[in-house]
Amino acid sequence: MSHSILSALSEDLLVRVYGFLDPPCRKTWRLVSREFHRVDSLSRTSIRILRVEFLPALLFKHPNLSSLDLSVCPKLDDDVVLRIALDGAVSTSRLKSLNLSRATAVRARGLETLARLCRALERVDVSHCWAFGDREAAALSVAAGLRELKMDKCLSLSDVGLARIVVGCSKLNKISLKWCMEISDLGIDLLCKKCKDLKSLDVSYLKITNESVRSIALLPKLEVLEMVSCPLIDDAGLQYLENGSPSLKEIDVTRCDRVSSSSLISIVKGHPDLQHLKASHCISEISLSFLHNIKALKHLKTLWIDGARVSDSSLLTLSGSCRALTELGVSRCVGVTDIGMMGLARNCSNLKALNLACCGFVTDAAISAVAQSCLNLESLQLESCHLITEKGLQSLGCYSKRLQELDLTDCDGVNDRGLEYISKCSNLLRLKLGLCANISDKGIFHIGSKCSKLLELDLYRCAGFGDDGLAAISRGCKSLNRLILSYCGELTDTGAEKIRQLEHLTHLELRGIKNITGTGLAAIARGCKKLAYLDLKQCENIDDSGFWALAYFSRNLRQINLCNCSVSDTALCMLMSNLSRVQDVDLVHLNRVTVEGFEFALRACCNRLKKLKLLAPLRFLLSSELLEVLHARGCRIRWD
Amino acid sequence: MEDEEEGEPNLHVFKASSSGKDNNNNNNGGQASVQGVKAQAWDPRTMLCNLSFMEQKIHELQGLVHLILGRNGQLQDEQQQLITADLTSIIIQLISTAGSLLPSVNMLSTTAPGSALFPFPREANNLASQTLNNGGASQELEDDAEEGENLPPGSYEIKQLEKEEILAPHTNFCTICGKGFKRDANLRMHMRGHGDQYKTPAALAKPPTKETLPGSDAPMLIKRYSCPFPGCKRNKDHKRFQPLKTILCVKNHYKRTHCDKSFTCSRCHTKKFSVIADLKTHEKHCGQNKWLCSCGTTFSRKDKLFGHIALFQGHTPAIPLEDTKPSAAASSQRGSSGCGNSNNNAAMVSFSLGSAANANQETSQPCVMDGKTSFEESFSPLSFDICNFGGFPRSIFDDSFQMLISSACGCSPINGGVGSVSDTSL
Repeated sequence: MSHSILSALSEDLLVRVYGFLDPPCRKTWRLVSREFHRVDSLSRTSIRILRVEFLPALLFKHPNLSSLDLSVCPKLDDDVVLRIALDGAVSTSRLKSLNLSRATAVRARGLETLARLCRALERVDVSHCWAFGDREAAALSVAAGLRELKMDKCLSLSDVGLARIVVGCSKLNKISLKWCMEISDLGIDLLCKKCKDLKSLDVSYLKITNESVRSIALLPKLEVLEMVSCPLIDDAGLQYLENGSPSLKEIDVTRCDRVSSSSLISIVKGHPDLQHLKASHCISEISLSFLHNIKALKHLKTLWIDGARVSDSSLLTLSGSCRALTELGVSRCVGVTDIGMMGLARNCSNLKALNLACCGFVTDAAISAVAQSCLNLESLQLESCHLITEKGLQSLGCYSKRLQELDLTDCDGVNDRGLEYISKCSNLLRLKLGLCANISDKGIFHIGSKCSKLLELDLYRCAGFGDDGLAAISRGCKSLNRLILSYCGELTDTGAEKIRQLEHLTHLELRGIKNITGTGLAAIARGCKKLAYLDLKQCENIDDSGFWALAYFSRNLRQINLCNCSVSDTALCMLMSNLSRVQDVDLVHLNRVTVEGFEFALRACCNRLKKLKLLAPLRFLLSSELLEVLHARGCRIRWD
Repeated sequence: MEDEEEGEPNLHVFKASSSGKDNNNNNNGGQASVQGVKAQAWDPRTMLCNLSFMEQKIHELQGLVHLILGRNGQLQDEQQQLITADLTSIIIQLISTAGSLLPSVNMLSTTAPGSALFPFPREANNLASQTLNNGGASQELEDDAEEGENLPPGSYEIKQLEKEEILAPHTNFCTICGKGFKRDANLRMHMRGHGDQYKTPAALAKPPTKETLPGSDAPMLIKRYSCPFPGCKRNKDHKRFQPLKTILCVKNHYKRTHCDKSFTCSRCHTKKFSVIADLKTHEKHCGQNKWLCSCGTTFSRKDKLFGHIALFQGHTPAIPLEDTKPSAAASSQRGSSGCGNSNNNAAMVSFSLGSAANANQETSQPCVMDGKTSFEESFSPLSFDICNFGGFPRSIFDDSFQMLISSACGCSPINGGVGSVSDTSL
């Protein structure tokens, strides 16, 4: 019927139409016809590879790819990369972005091949590759056109490796060195001397001193500087920034213990155009002079002063002058009360994100004021605000139609009626209700029936609800991809049966639910094909039938926690060998598994594991060959 | 002794060095007079003055020695010094007077190292020639400001040792047997063997240098040295001449810059030196230089390497090769097994199967089994999978396993993992 009309459309038109589609629709699109499939193949610019077996074929099929994500691809190693390089049919010259995060088995040889293969490479992410060291950095430095590089938690990377990259890729304008614990002042200094185009720099958690800040201050184009938790940097260091880095827009000094407000004042003085100031947990008090200087920042959009002593009057002065404020973090601030919050709500009507976690004195009145004035509010964190009751939630439901994220963890005042009000926020994407003991099936039912866009739901230790509530959620929130049900003791197999309806679920935590058995797990495994993360810790009553089903159906499982489960040798081996994407496994306290069982199971999956948790005694019981292979493949073992 | 004041003003320098007591008042006059000597190269009147001065000096000395003779030949230390100083000044005067007649310096300064016990003549030689030479050179030096030390040209006297002199292993020679020594102290020790007269405390004492001479401090110029290598920055004819401070500096400089590096490090066999002391210093630290630049330069300290890299475009730190071997070996092994190398594959099979079987046999406790299939049977495909490290052909195994599970728990094999090969992330 419509076939003829579709075939009348020219390829150009098809490509244009395709351009308007969002990713889920594109999946449907390519199933329409051969022609449509061809358009999809040619127009596709970004791909995430789940299985290494299909990598060459997919690269061949999509010649115009500009972004390749290999971060969740198991069994990716140097040999695979070299084989692709030898395969002349694969075109990678247009590739600009490459994500190799957690690709621990790709070492120097593979990286160098990739860097040479992808000549147009601009963005690379090698974060969380603990084996990424100087040699790998040297290999990567072949990609001279690199603009952005993320190297978070590359634990083996030292100054020497950084120097290689810095010299090789001098056009870098964004680099993240978070948790690269070996990096010192020398490396940062060289980075700042060689990469003058740097716009964004993340040196969080590094053991760098004031000398590094002195070098950083010489960067002429720096806009974003993140230095979370740098314990050795103090006020003297930050003072260098007063007259340095003239284009600084954003600075994050969260948890820098030795930084006080005096140096922040000097930074503010030197940069009147500062837009984002994140100084959580480093200043103890909002002093008058600090306030006075902050007032001068007319373009301030983000202010995090979590953990500081904030008086109502200072909040009023602050909000009175910084009207452009869209994000405010005052969690754990002593002294935040309703008066201050009401003043803030009155002045800063553009507020989009507000963090009030652990502000114990905030009551419904403040929440109502915020909800009524800040109509653009998208994110609200109210963790441990015990005075909040359904009244506050009522105004949220009435006014905050754009609310996407709401954190009510550990709020005693949240009850079923409150949830009913919240459910009116129909755009809600993320809802956290952990430790709310007063909610039951009735409240959950409201959420399930109205918040259909919900992506993430946290019901950690909500003991008051059971299978019926879960049924409502499963019925209503079809797009849910993250569900936390740990320690919800009322849940049984019936509830688990319902979870299977959530086809998009990728992250499921079922920790400590004793009533779920093999039947329940089998149902979940059958339904939730996309499941990538599963936490079954202390689910003692799941028998092997459940694990067998899991092994058979959950082919996308990437991370699994089986601690304290009564899994048998056979089932464990089945799981580990059949789940071909599994990369991160917790196998502590498995009472029914013998040493041989562990040996077999790990041998079956040793070429794709990236992270493994085992009981310490097994270190001497497992064969050394196995441990060597695991290590050579870049697997990290935590001995518990 | 007291009546030297009547001499010509341009002779004050000699007067100062000769008179023991009344020297402090002509500090300023000294420099001026020396420059005066320099300026006038050949003037018969000056020469006459000088000669008459020397004559007068010799008379004085004669008187002094007579006096000593009258005291039964007892020579006081002070008197001896006085005599030495007077003699020195006479000799210097004589040489400078004679030197002013000669056209070039080199003829004078090539004189062999003079008598060892008396180091002054040689220096005096040089002094004379240098001062002579400097008269011409000072004009072109004036436009270039002195780097480093910032001594105005002419405020110091320049000496230039010859190449042979610099490279000579010994600088002090015994006048009797001709044996050479590096230090004059060693020579004095040696001289004791040539007779009792060399054993007196006076003979063994360190001969007074110009600085230590009583009364000589006032007109003393700072001494600086020039490298004899033409074109060298340390050569006095260089436009931006930078003098060397001591003779030792001259020697080290000349050897380091203008000589072959003949001493090779016995440890690394790569580093070469021309000065033994440098070699010894290097050998002390050789092997500790773990910081290596791509240009081949090694550094003992990381910050020095990084300073070097920051300075030079394109230089990068080199990564030592030691730790490549294990990883490379491991990956090549994996590679060959993945590609289906039969030898390697066989080895891997025996490793995985063999040890697994052993593990099974060794255990006394029976394996807990839930499935119907026996332990060995169900795991034989696993070990085959292990053999295929990094290889693609997994589907066969996957299929066989699907069958196994479906028969075991009765699940129908509906499209297992094939449905979701890749998903989009935009």
